[in-house]
Amino acid sequence: MKKQLFNLKTLTLALSSLLLVVGCKEDNDIDKEGITTETKDASDRWITVAGAKMGSNPGDGNGGTLVYAVSSKNAKDPNKVIAPFDYGYVVPSNRTARLQASEDGNTLFNITYAGDTGGSFFKYTVDGGQEFNQIGLPVTVAQYVGTAPRWIKLFDGDNTGAAVYVSTEDVINDNGTIDDVTDDVYVKTESKIAVVTISLANQEIIEFKDHTISLDDINAVKGYYISRIDMPVLNAAGDKLYIGAQVRKKDPTTLERDNDYDILGTKTIVLDYPSLDNPSIITSAIGHGNSNGYRSINAFEYNGDVYQANQSDPEGSHILKIGANNQYDNSYDFNLDTALGVTGAYVLAWRPAGNGKAVLAYRHEGSETGVAGAQGFFALVDLNAKTATTINEIPYEADFYLFQYQGFAVKGNEIFVTQAPVGKDGNIYAIDTETGAVTKGAQLKNVEGSHFIGTW
Amino acid sequence: MKFKLFFIFFAIITSSYSQGLQNIISGKVIDEKGEPLFGATIFVDNNLLASIVNENGNYVIKNIPQGKHLLKVSYLGYKTETKEVTVKNKENLKLDFFLNENTESLKQVSLLSKSEKTKTETKGFAVNVVETKEASLRNIQTNELLNTTVGVKIRQNGGLGSNVQYSLNGLSGSSVRIFIDGIPISMYGSSFSLNSIPPSMIKNIEVYKGVVPGHLADDALGGAINIVMKKGAKSNFNASISYGSFNTLQSNINGLYRFKKSGLTLKASTFYNYSANNYKVWGRGIVDIAPNGRTTEITAKMFNNAYKSIGGITQIGFTDVKWADQFFIGFTGSHDYKEIPNGAFMSTLPYKGRFMESDAKLTTLTYQKKDLVIKGLDININGLYGKRNRVVNDTVPWVYTWKGERLKDLKGNDIKYNWGSQQEKTQYGPVLNRISRNVASIRTGLSYEINKQNKILVNHVYSGLNREDHNEFLSALENTFKETKDLYKNIYSLSYELNAFNNQLKANLFGKHYRQKVLNNKPEFIDNPDGSKSVVEKVYNSNKNYNGYGFAFSYAILPNITLLTSAEKAVRLPSETEVFGNAGDNVRENVTIKPEISNNYNLGFRFGKFNIQKHSFTLTTNLFSRNIQDLISLPIDKDQLDQDDQVIYYVNLEKRSTSKGVELDLNYSYNNNLGLNFNMSHFNLTTLVNGLEVAVPNTPTFTMNAGVRYSIKDFFQKKSSLNLFYSAYFTDEFSYIKSQESGVRDDSNFSNIPLQFVQDLGISYAFPKEHFVISFDAKNIFDKTAYDNLSIQKPGRSFYIKLNYTINKF
Repeated sequence: MKKQLFNLKTLTLALSSLLLVVGCKEDNDIDKEGITTETKDASDRWITVAGAKMGSNPGDGNGGTLVYAVSSKNAKDPNKVIAPFDYGYVVPSNRTARLQASEDGNTLFNITYAGDTGGSFFKYTVDGGQEFNQIGLPVTVAQYVGTAPRWIKLFDGDNTGAAVYVSTEDVINDNGTIDDVTDDVYVKTESKIAVVTISLANQEIIEFKDHTISLDDINAVKGYYISRIDMPVLNAAGDKLYIGAQVRKKDPTTLERDNDYDILGTKTIVLDYPSLDNPSIITSAIGHGNSNGYRSINAFEYNGDVYQANQSDPEGSHILKIGANNQYDNSYDFNLDTALGVTGAYVLAWRPAGNGKAVLAYRHEGSETGVAGAQGFFALVDLNAKTATTINEIPYEADFYLFQYQGFAVKGNEIFVTQAPVGKDGNIYAIDTETGAVTKGAQLKNVEGSHFIGTW
Repeated sequence: MKFKLFFIFFAIITSSYSQGLQNIISGKVIDEKGEPLFGATIFVDNNLLASIVNENGNYVIKNIPQGKHLLKVSYLGYKTETKEVTVKNKENLKLDFFLNENTESLKQVSLLSKSEKTKTETKGFAVNVVETKEASLRNIQTNELLNTTVGVKIRQNGGLGSNVQYSLNGLSGSSVRIFIDGIPISMYGSSFSLNSIPPSMIKNIEVYKGVVPGHLADDALGGAINIVMKKGAKSNFNASISYGSFNTLQSNINGLYRFKKSGLTLKASTFYNYSANNYKVWGRGIVDIAPNGRTTEITAKMFNNAYKSIGGITQIGFTDVKWADQFFIGFTGSHDYKEIPNGAFMSTLPYKGRFMESDAKLTTLTYQKKDLVIKGLDININGLYGKRNRVVNDTVPWVYTWKGERLKDLKGNDIKYNWGSQQEKTQYGPVLNRISRNVASIRTGLSYEINKQNKILVNHVYSGLNREDHNEFLSALENTFKETKDLYKNIYSLSYELNAFNNQLKANLFGKHYRQKVLNNKPEFIDNPDGSKSVVEKVYNSNKNYNGYGFAFSYAILPNITLLTSAEKAVRLPSETEVFGNAGDNVRENVTIKPEISNNYNLGFRFGKFNIQKHSFTLTTNLFSRNIQDLISLPIDKDQLDQDDQVIYYVNLEKRSTSKGVELDLNYSYNNNLGLNFNMSHFNLTTLVNGLEVAVPNTPTFTMNAGVRYSIKDFFQKKSSLNLFYSAYFTDEFSYIKSQESGVRDDSNFSNIPLQFVQDLGISYAFPKEHFVISFDAKNIFDKTAYDNLSIQKPGRSFYIKLNYTINKF
């Protein structure tokens, strides 16, 4: 008898603990407390702050992109606390979203990067705080450039965006013998580039073109080819579109990827605009390496010319100049190693104001390795004087990670940046590019493993 | 009341003591074939005294009062026997019972096999034995059956034949190894898998969680699923056909014929499965697209989602002969065809014309013998050798929408994908990729029972796999210079089993030794003396040896309360790619890479079986923890390194993963015609990286299943039986990425995999004599949307009907 009582007791205990588990699960009320309504004066500008939440590793940014908008006045107020990870708006994107904002800061654009709506263009009105409201129907460009497209808005008064894709194909001469491999000769690797333009205003596709291109014969036969393209930018005349390129190399005997080779002069693909016809490739004699950037806009029009940063340059990143004649201006030599006094400078992201002075995010060989990768810094750059100085008013530490940094909101000559090491709180800093004055602004509340990717 | 009962109890005890301390009845309880009936019950005079038959078929009843008594022996699946005895003082009576099998009811036959299930489940391992008997008569696939098992979560991409991921207590992917009769299922390929093998060809499925016994040794970090195919040495024939929604047809025929004199046995099984899987889907990605790119959500019917599989096993050999209990040489052939409707997500652009075909042609060998040469020495050999092929076909360049039509551009022209195929990729061109593999695997198990208490088991598994890739659309040069990898594994294990204190204590200690050899074949040109060129394969190899060990321990605290505990230091060996990298992705080799190690613990109790009047129930609980170290991964900053065109390689991260949880399984039955099963599993899976502990996203952590069966005897016709079934499956909501804070505004809810609650109904009717069984199943009766993976919708409401025909006696 006693035995059985004990059993029943155990059973009851087990079952009630189960009920508890079930019961707890249902208690899922959404706590909406702490949400503030953000306002701004009619003359002020929204500053949208974006954070990239950690996915599975610190700094990977794969846990979602969250945005939060405050007035520029609040953005410069060190008592203001901004917490996008707690009260922000989730921009749908599987990896870090690649955001674009209208020049007035009132509209946010995004093309979803992977996922079920990957490759779809979304438009949101910025209404302060977590109030971002989708307008119009999504427009997909996945049929042309895939579900994880590289895209940028063109600086043509917020009219147009351009997205690009490239696939490659090896050209082999089998000397008429399909099965005999010993007489096969590698000719070149062709790149099939796809370019689509989207009307930001009307939310529809404007034009699509694809072209098959390859490098000059001498380099092509050695195995050099365009492996990635990104960062389209319009020239001042508005009749040419420049697209940044990454060049890789194959071993022509085995077609395997080569890792040890001479890096060619930086290349850019030039297309007629708006027809997107007549592709040609221009090459810099100053810079070597790639011009496709990563997540942030890599090239800007200023004063009639286009200024383009390059990456993976053995001499350190350069800012290169493409003149009004749509060719690299090799008389413009702006090396960041020289200007910053470091070795292996690497431009992660940058943005000039209308005065030709820019804020630039970089790392270099001496960067410490933090939880997510190499430490980043901000510098103030003068395109005309070809000078760059590290902004020392901003605190740096090893976990200050800028590889995924994207956005610099520009208000007149003022540029807003976010500063927060991975997983740690930080601040907004407003940099007056004209005077170099740095204002420590609103506090940024971070969460574990996450980081901020800029302002818009 | 309590006091009164106690008093009566006391009175009975004392009276029996005073009356006849020495009177004993003992004997054997065996079946027609002389097999002991372990677990049979003997009652004296309507439950005055009782005893249970032990493993060797013996029973003892002490302290029987003097006089006339009625002894009743019963065992599920057998006819109850009653004998009358007269006991004199100080007498030692011997009384044997022979029970006849009760062939009248199917259900009882299934209950009979439960004793074996119970035997396995009480050895100390965290193991579940899934029975297929009932499912094989219904419209239930093997994967569905497995999904109802506690602690097992099947994540499937859609309908019949779709991609499946198995998760055991939170660990999945290459942490879970699946076997067919102890042979790794990877040897068979996808055409002979849990998607295609019907439950009627399977005897049962053993699911070992965390701790895997020596006889199944492989580098199974999180556990193992072993499919035990039907053996048997009795002539029988069984055929079934099932038809239902989405044009789903499933049929199979199994037969065995044994020549009684010679023992020559012929076995054959075949199966055929087909489904169009053209169910309805909707959601964010399911859109129609205008030429200007604007998208509008629609409800679409899946297309390019058909699945077909066909296969068979034929075996010839001898059963129950002097030199072998089972000896078979056989051939297994299978082929499947599967259309691939989408990529990792159901995105705005579905695939058209992308499909995969695979086949396997394997020769098999089975040998089993108990008491080989000497008594107590058992041998068990399973082997296979053969070839399997897989072809991925993706040659359609046109863009299709969810309406099933070609997408047109602004000028009215059909759009072609930039990459020339359905699946997005950076290399242009159609794909027709053939992968051929030669496979060989053999498992040998020797066990020696020193005496009733001590047993030693030695096991060895060899598996070898070499592969060749060939894309028809690439030039000879591109096809030649593709590295290939061969993998050879030898795993040895030694186990010691102890049975002590009259089966009260069972212990199993085991050690495993893993030897893995990976060959990397890198083709190179060499210049011949005559000036010509030829290709040679340069072979690099990596040999790795590791050890692991563990134990399982069970102790019956009381006859119906058993403590079950087990632990193992488990190992997952690095894969071919992890060792040798992948040149195409700029991932280079790392021959110094270490395996992932996991310390796995289980602690559980089994309560039952309790019989209270006509109610009976069993409750099993298990607390588990898995602690994985040295996780193999690409470096954290791999995106940066890749962007800069730097070489990367797999490393053992300073990263740990922990899964901790509880599971519970309750079985209840009333009067043998109402059965109820409920189970739940809940766990936390976290990783610790750079001192930061985070929950691993995209993991269903809370699941519950319930099933009810009700049988009605002599329904409509005498000796017929009607079974009614109800099942419910619950998976709690989980997030594909880290879940967001409550204050966050997430309009699209884009990373959520919503709560799933799916309910099925079934009915089966066994005609008198049980040659015919007809079943009807309605699945997902409330047409709920179900997702196992983000945005990949599974079928809604569906109906199936099945006819079974069986002959057991020729």
